[in-house]
Amino acid sequence: MLATETGPIAFPILSALIFIPIIGAVIVALLPKSRPEYPKLVALMASVATAAMSIWLMASFETSEAGFQFVSKHTWIEAWGISWHLGVDGISLFLVVLTGILFPLAILAVDPHHDEKPYLAWLLMLQAGVMGSFLSLDLFVFFVFFEIVLVPMYFLIAGWGYEKRVYAATKFFLYTMFGSAFMLVGLIATVAIASRDIGYTTFDLVVIAEQANFAASTGRWLFFAFAIAFAVKVPIFPLHTWLPDAHTQAPTAGSVVLAGVMLKLGTYGLLRFGVYLFPEASYWSRNLWLTLAVIGIIYGAIAATMQTDLKRLVAYSSVAHLGFIVLGIFAFTTQSMSGSTIQMVNHGVSTGALFLFVGWIYERRKTRQISDLRGLQKVAPIFAAAFMLVMLSSVGVPGLNGFVGEFLILTGSFLTARWWTVVAALGVILAAVYLLWAYQRVFHGEPDEDNKKFPELKIKEGLVLLPFLGLIVFMGIYPKPVLDRVQPSIDALIGRVEDHTDYVQPKPTIELVDHSQEPANPEEEGDG
Amino acid sequence: MLAVNFLLLGAALFCIGVYGVIARRNAVMVLMSIELILNAVSLNFVAFALMSGAIDGQVFALYVIAVAAAEVGVGLAMVLMIYRNRKSIALDELSEMKG
Amino acid sequence: MIASLLAQAGDWTSPSIDWAALAPEIVLAIGVNIILLLDLQLAETKKWAIATITGFVLLGSFVAVVVLAVTGDGARSLFDGRYVVDDYALILKALFLLAAYVVVLLSQTELEEGGYYQGEFYVLLVCSVLGMVMMASARDLVSIFVALELLSIPAYMMAAWNKRNRKSNEAGIKYYLLGVFASAVLLYGMSLLFGATGSTKLTDIGAALLDGDLIGLDVVAVVFVVCGFAFKISAVPFHQWAPDTYEGAPTPVTAFFSVATKAAGFVALMSVVFIAFPGADGVYQPLIWVMAALTMTFGNVLALRQTNIVRMLAYSSVSQGGFILMPLAFAGEPGVGPAALNAVIVYLIAYAFMNLGAFAVVIAVTRKTRSGEISSFGGLFSYAPGLAVAMTIFFASLAGIPPLAGWFAKFNAFKAVLDAGTTAAYVLAAIAAVNTVIAAAYYMRVLRVVWMDEAPDGDTSPVKSPAPVVAALAITVLGTIVLGVLPNLIARAGAIDALTGAFAG
Repeated sequence: MLATETGPIAFPILSALIFIPIIGAVIVALLPKSRPEYPKLVALMASVATAAMSIWLMASFETSEAGFQFVSKHTWIEAWGISWHLGVDGISLFLVVLTGILFPLAILAVDPHHDEKPYLAWLLMLQAGVMGSFLSLDLFVFFVFFEIVLVPMYFLIAGWGYEKRVYAATKFFLYTMFGSAFMLVGLIATVAIASRDIGYTTFDLVVIAEQANFAASTGRWLFFAFAIAFAVKVPIFPLHTWLPDAHTQAPTAGSVVLAGVMLKLGTYGLLRFGVYLFPEASYWSRNLWLTLAVIGIIYGAIAATMQTDLKRLVAYSSVAHLGFIVLGIFAFTTQSMSGSTIQMVNHGVSTGALFLFVGWIYERRKTRQISDLRGLQKVAPIFAAAFMLVMLSSVGVPGLNGFVGEFLILTGSFLTARWWTVVAALGVILAAVYLLWAYQRVFHGEPDEDNKKFPELKIKEGLVLLPFLGLIVFMGIYPKPVLDRVQPSIDALIGRVEDHTDYVQPKPTIELVDHSQEPANPEEEGDG
Repeated sequence: MLAVNFLLLGAALFCIGVYGVIARRNAVMVLMSIELILNAVSLNFVAFALMSGAIDGQVFALYVIAVAAAEVGVGLAMVLMIYRNRKSIALDELSEMKG
Repeated sequence: MIASLLAQAGDWTSPSIDWAALAPEIVLAIGVNIILLLDLQLAETKKWAIATITGFVLLGSFVAVVVLAVTGDGARSLFDGRYVVDDYALILKALFLLAAYVVVLLSQTELEEGGYYQGEFYVLLVCSVLGMVMMASARDLVSIFVALELLSIPAYMMAAWNKRNRKSNEAGIKYYLLGVFASAVLLYGMSLLFGATGSTKLTDIGAALLDGDLIGLDVVAVVFVVCGFAFKISAVPFHQWAPDTYEGAPTPVTAFFSVATKAAGFVALMSVVFIAFPGADGVYQPLIWVMAALTMTFGNVLALRQTNIVRMLAYSSVSQGGFILMPLAFAGEPGVGPAALNAVIVYLIAYAFMNLGAFAVVIAVTRKTRSGEISSFGGLFSYAPGLAVAMTIFFASLAGIPPLAGWFAKFNAFKAVLDAGTTAAYVLAAIAAVNTVIAAAYYMRVLRVVWMDEAPDGDTSPVKSPAPVVAALAITVLGTIVLGVLPNLIARAGAIDALTGAFAG
C-alpha cells in the first residue's frame, strides 16, 4: 500500500506533510491538562518537522520538470475512482513550503491569551488542511481539505479573536461555505459529465483534464461553479467583505495564516482548478476577472487609505495585493502568471510579517488605532526598522521581494491586457501612499506618555522575524531559483490554454524579457 | 356497471372523511372521519376485487378492518388521556408548543 | 362468490416457508413475548433487567441478520415474491436494529429515573422495530401496510409516554391523528392502485404500469401513495406534526422517531418507487422533486429561528429528509436508478449515526442542565470537553463537513442527482447547495454556544453520564467518523442488484 507509483523516493513525503500535523494535533488534544508545558512543545515539533520536510521537498524538486512530482496515488473509494492522489508542481511547490514555514513561526511568535491546548490543536489541523488542499490532485480529496480548512479557522477566530470575533467568524464561515457549496455541485457535475467522455467515473484531476472534452457552454457553467468558491476565498471584489472583519478579529496567528496561505487557496484554485481544468472558459471570461481584479486593486487601496485601525489597513491592502495576483493569472502570459505565483508567496511573507507586527503592537499597547500610536521610532528603533523593511516589501520597492512579483505581473499583463494594467499600476502608487502614510503616523513624531514605554523588539520576536526578513531580501535580490521552478509549470499551463482556444501568447521583445526576468540580477542574462 | 357505483360511493366517503379531518375540531369527530376514509378504502378494495376477480382485495379489506380497530383503540385511549389532563378534547386548544 | 373461494381453496397447498430467512423477525416476535411475560413477573426493583434483555433480543436478531448476510447467496424470495430477503433488506434490517439498540441505551436511565412503565415501553419499542424489519422485506401492498401499522401504532403510544405531561399528550395525539390520516390516504391510494393493476404485489404492479400508457386512475393512485408516505418521512407540506411531536415526546423516543421511523418510511417509499412505479416516473418524479426542494428549504429556514435544541433538531431532521428524498426525484432517469438507491441508503445509514449521536449528547447534557434551550449549552466545552467534542463531530457531520459520515452522504446524494444531468437536476442541486449553507449556519450557531459562551448559570460542575449513554455515544461517534473516513464500507451498500425486482425493465 505504501509504495508510490512514481517519484524518486519511496517515502511518501507528501502524505507525511499532511499527516504529521494531524498526528500532532491529536497528541496535543490528548495531552493531560496537568502538564501545561507540553502542548506547545509538541505543536512546535510537529510543525517544525513539517517545515523541514517541505524545505527538503523544495531542495529535491526537479527544476526543469513541468509535470507533477513526488506523486503518490492510492485507491480510496474504488467504486467512483476516488484516490488519494497527491503531487506537487512548480505552482504548488512554494505554497507548500510557505505553509510549512509559516505555521511554526506563527506558533512561536504569539501565545494565545487563554486555552493554549485547543488553540494549538486547531492550528495544526489548519496546517494539515491547507497542505492537503495544495497537494491533492483528486477533486474529491481537494474538496475534503478545502472544507476542512474552514472548521479550525472558524474556531480560531471565534475562540481566540477580539471583540467582534463571533460575528466575524460566522461571516467568514458562511461566505466560504456558500462558495464551496457551488463548487461541490460543479465538481460533481464535472465528474459526471467527464465520465461520459472518459468511459468510467474518476475524480482524478489529471485524467479529467487530459481526457475530458467539455462543450464550451458546459465548461463555462462548470468553471463558474468552481470560480465562485475561489473568488470568495481570494477574495475578489465584490465578495471580499468577509475579509476585513475576519482579519481584524482573528488572533495574530490566525491573521498570519489567513493572509499567508489561506487566501492563496483561492488564487491557487483558480490556477489549478480554473485555468488548468477549464482553459477555454477561463480564457473566455478573462475580461470579467481582469476588471474585477483591477477594481479590487483600486478599491482595496482606497479603502486601506481611509482606515483608522492598523490591522484593518493591512487587511484591505491584502484585497489590493490579491487583485494583482488575479490580474496576472488572467493575463495569460508567462511573465504575468509566474509573477502571480511568486507574488502569492511574497504576499504571504510580507503580509504575514505585517500582521505579526500589528499583533505585537497590540500586545504592547492594547490598541490598534493609528491615532493612539505615535513616535514609536524613537523608543523602539529596531522594531521600527524591521517594520520599515517589511512594509517596503509590501509597497514593492526594488530589491525586495514585492517588487519582483508586481513587476513581472505588470510587464506580463501589459502585453495582453494593456488598459487594465495601466489602471492597476496606479494601485502600486496608492500602496506606497497608504503604507508610508501609516508608517509616518505610527512611527514618526514625538512619542507621548503612553507610547514612551513601548518596549523594543524582543529576542524571540527577532528570531521569528529573521526568516521573514531573509526571504524578503533573498527573493528580492535573487528570485531565479524560484522562477526556474515555477516557469516550466506555467508554460505548460499556458500551452494548455493555447491548445484549447485560439489564444497565442504574444512574443515579448528580448528587452522586455530581460527586464522582467531580472529586476535585480544581471547573471540571468541570455536566459530569455 | 354496479362496481362503478361502489367506487363513486367510496370516493364520496373519502371526500367527506377528508373534509371532516380538516374541518372538525373535536378529536372524536376527527377519529370518526378517519374511520370514514378507511371504510371508503375497504369498499374500494372489495369493489375492485369484484371487478377483477382477484381475491387479494377482499383479503386486504379484512386487514384494513382489523388494523383500523387497533388504531381506534389506541386513539380513543389517547383522547381519554388528554381529557383527563385538560378536561377538553378540542384539538385547537392543544397549543403547548409553537414555532 | 363463496363457491369461487371454495373452488380456489381446493387446489391450495400450504406454501413451503423458508423459516431461516425469517429468523430476525421470529427472534423479535419471540422476544416481545418474553419481555412482556417477564415484566409481569419482575419486582419493581428489578425492572432494569428488561432493558438488558431487550438489548439481547435486538442483538439476537442482529446476529440472525448477519448470518443471513454472510451465508446467503442472492435473494431469498418468500410467499411468491411478496416477502423478499435480499441485500437491500438485510442492510436496512441491520440499520433498524442498531438504531433501536442505541435508543434502548439512551432510554434506559431516562426511564429508570422517571419511573415510567419500563416493561411496556420496551415491548412497544421491539414491536415497532419488528414492523421496521418487516418493512425492509415487504414487497406487497398488504405486507407494506401491515408493517407500517405495526411500526406506527406502538410509536403513537411511545410519543405520549409521559402520561401526565401535557406536552407529551399533545405530541402523542398530533402524531396519532396525522399518522392515521396519512395511513388512510395511503390506503386509499393503494386501493386505487390495486384497482388499476389488479394485483397487490409490487412486481406485478410495476409490470402493469409499464404496460401501456398511464390512465387517470394510475396517476391518482401514485400521487396518493407517494403523499401517504410523505407524511411518514415528514416531507413538506406534510411535516406539521414533526416539530411538535419531537419536542413533546421523551427525548429518546424523539431520537427513535427522527431516525428509525423516518428511515422505515423511506424504505417503503423506495420499495414502491423502484419496484412498482418505474412506469410512472413521469408522475412521481416531479412530485418528489417539489417535495424535496420544499422540504429542505422550509426545514432549514424554520430551524434557523429555533431556540430549543430539540425543536431545532426536529426541523433539521425535516430538512435532512429533503436531502434524502432528493435522489429519488431522479430515480427513473436512465442509468440513475442504482445511484439514487445507493445514495438514499447511504444517507439513511449516515444520518442514523449522526442524528442519534446528536440526540445522545442532548440527553447527556440535559440530564444536568434540565433545559432544552440552546443557550443552556453555553460553556459545555469548559466543563465537559468530551461531550463538546462529540457534539462538534455530530453537528459538523450534519452540516456536511468532511471527513465525516454526513459529508459523504451529502456528496453521494449530490452525485446521484447530477448523474441525471437534466436541467431539473442542476436546479435541484443548486437549491440543495444553498441549503447546505443555511444548515451550516444553525449547526454552527449551536457549536458556537458550546465552545465560546460561558455557562449561563455559572455551574461548571462536570457532567456525569451513565454508562449506557456513554456506550451510545461511543457507537455513534465511531460510526460517524469511520463512515466518513472509510466510505468504502457503505459505498457498495445498495449495489445495483441489491433490490430484487428493481431495474429489471
